[in-house]
Parts: sequence; C-alpha cells; structure tokens
Amino acid sequence: MTLAQRGRWITIGALMLLAGIYVRALRFTPVELTQGPAQKIFYLHVPAAWSAMLSMGLVGLASILYLIMKDARLDRFAAASAEVGTVFCCVMLTTGPLWARPIWGTWWTWDARLTLTLMLFFLFIGYQVLRGAVTDPRLRANYAAVVGICGLILLPFIHLSVYLFRTLHPMPIVLKPSAPSLPPEMLVTLLLSFGVFTLLYVGFVIQRYALGEGKSDV
Amino acid sequence: MSETVAGNGGYMIAAYIVTAMILIGYSVLLATRTRKST
Repeated sequence: MTLAQRGRWITIGALMLLAGIYVRALRFTPVELTQGPAQKIFYLHVPAAWSAMLSMGLVGLASILYLIMKDARLDRFAAASAEVGTVFCCVMLTTGPLWARPIWGTWWTWDARLTLTLMLFFLFIGYQVLRGAVTDPRLRANYAAVVGICGLILLPFIHLSVYLFRTLHPMPIVLKPSAPSLPPEMLVTLLLSFGVFTLLYVGFVIQRYALGEGKSDV
Repeated sequence: MSETVAGNGGYMIAAYIVTAMILIGYSVLLATRTRKST
C-alpha cells in the first residue's frame, strides 16, 4: 500500500467516525439550556480550532528543524501541514460566526481572540502564497520556514488572549490548569470529536505529503 | 415551571452542513489531485 493510499484510508475512516460524532452530538448529547441547540456548534468549532493550531504548531516545529537540518522532507511536511491547517481554519472561521450570531448577537467582533485567529488564517494563506511565488526550492523553503516560525510564535498569544484581554470569547474549557468544566456527556462528545479531527488531520497530511513526494514544486 | 430552550437550531444545522462540505470537499480535492499526479 502506498503512502497516498494509506492516507486515503485513514481519511475515509476519520470521515466515517465524524459521521458518528454528528449522530452523537445531535441526537445523544443534551442541549445546553442557556444557549440552546447553537451550543452544539462547539463540538465542531473547538476541535477545528485545535486542529488548526496543531497544524501551525507542527509547521513551526518542522520549519525550525528544516533550518537546522536542511532536510527537504521537513519542508514538504510543513507545506502539507499548512495546507491542511488552512482547511481547519476555514471550518473554525465559519462555525465561529454561526455560533456567535445567536449567542452574542453579532457575527464578528474585533476582540483579541478573534482578531489573532484571523491573523493565523492570513498567515496560513500567506505561507501558501509565498510558496507559490518563489521558484527556487531552497529559497522557498527558507522563506516559508520563517513564516512558519512566526505562526508558531502566534499560537500562545491566541491561547492566552482570553486571559490577557477583555474579550467576548469564552475561556478555555478543557486546556486549562484545573479540571474541564463540562458535564460528562458533553465532555465525552467533545473529546471524541478532538480525536476524530486529529485523525482527519493525520489522514489529510499523509495524502498531501504523498502528493508532494518526487516533486520540487510543492 | 418548564424552561424554554432558545430556538436557534438553524445556526447549528448550518454549521454542521458547512463543516461537512468543507471537509468532504477537501477529501475529494486531495483524491482528485492524487489521481492526476499518478
């Protein structure tokens, strides 16, 4: 089995599991009384945000390692992870406003968390525009690595922005020093969704990495 | 006294549909690009 086929099977499996998450979230997870059904967007929005951040984190780490080791596989992995991260960022940035509109009364607000998240999206886009614009593979990899490291530096600011600034965005519910503040049924659905989105990330990246193998213009 | 739940299910359905469209769309795109490259 080739790498691309392996990635495809992982992706198919993850999409089937995602269908299971849909059923569990919509049918078997209780409705939150204050926010109503719109709260269930949470089971997609938060794992999509996690996957987008995981993508950029790994782009940044691969970029640092590339600049040290000059191994083209690291650059290829970073390119794959950045493209996949853009997809998850799109999910995060569409589900977020769909959740915000009924709860906050607005689609968007320029507070710290949302603005920094939009910056992350622009970094993903910029990363790919840069790769498309530079023809020399070594220069392209070096420049892209610098953008990838900027993305990595941005991540802690996004996570901590809700503590550092006044913002409408809720505080972290799972990734915080104390125990997760969710009823068990909701927490299980959320954690399962985290797992499925991570598996989807793995499947996508393997396929995208395999696509770049043997090509210099990835 | 019964509590009323906010009627905002439309936003939830829209979010679930959009997410499925993006993720399935990208899966199809990757499969198509892989087929073209081989």
